[in-house]
Amino acid sequence: MERDIILKEIGKILIPLVQLFGIYVIINGHLSPGGGFSGGTILGTSLIIMHLIYGENFIKNLYSKKKLILIISISLIFYTLIKGYSFLSTELNLPHPPIGNPGNILSSGFILPLNIAVGLLVASIFYVIFSIFIRDEV
Amino acid sequence: MESFSILILIFLIIFSISVSIIKNLLASVVVFMVYSLLMAVLWQQLNAPDLAITEAAVGAGVTTLLFVLAIRKVKGDDNEEN
Repeated sequence: MERDIILKEIGKILIPLVQLFGIYVIINGHLSPGGGFSGGTILGTSLIIMHLIYGENFIKNLYSKKKLILIISISLIFYTLIKGYSFLSTELNLPHPPIGNPGNILSSGFILPLNIAVGLLVASIFYVIFSIFIRDEV
Repeated sequence: MESFSILILIFLIIFSISVSIIKNLLASVVVFMVYSLLMAVLWQQLNAPDLAITEAAVGAGVTTLLFVLAIRKVKGDDNEEN
């Protein structure tokens, strides 16, 4: 089905802005309101909009099923390992990354990588839910 | 700020009643989306900006999209009158 040209051109302008805002919310999760879940939801919404405007084949070339499963698995395993280690390291006095100055992007130890993992996971899972909803497969 | 929150609360009550009263399903979903947006503004007024972002993204974005898709799937062809 051919989409309207106005929709495509507006999408070219708006979708990068939406993705940039999602990345901003994820990266600044430990400094300002937001975090992994909120930013991941915004990123997932941009993926859904891309699917609706440019069709199924466009996003399949960009973000295939294999890549989707790979990102979900890697971020889930990374999250569980790092989160478990962060619980254990305070109890057993294991080494952990430096805290840094409050207010910097690279500060507060494990929270930034955890936020990035949660953001990727939530974005992919939202797209999977939408994809199952619209055509019964990923 | 207090009176603004009370105004939003009154509108929330009106919208939540009208969601269940309206017969047209698509119009009901749109009213529900406006309810979510007002709820996000109210979270911001109650000093919970974190929840406000999540409510605006999930409530107004993803939930509305899934509801519209569900209506389209239930009705089959979208040429019928709603």
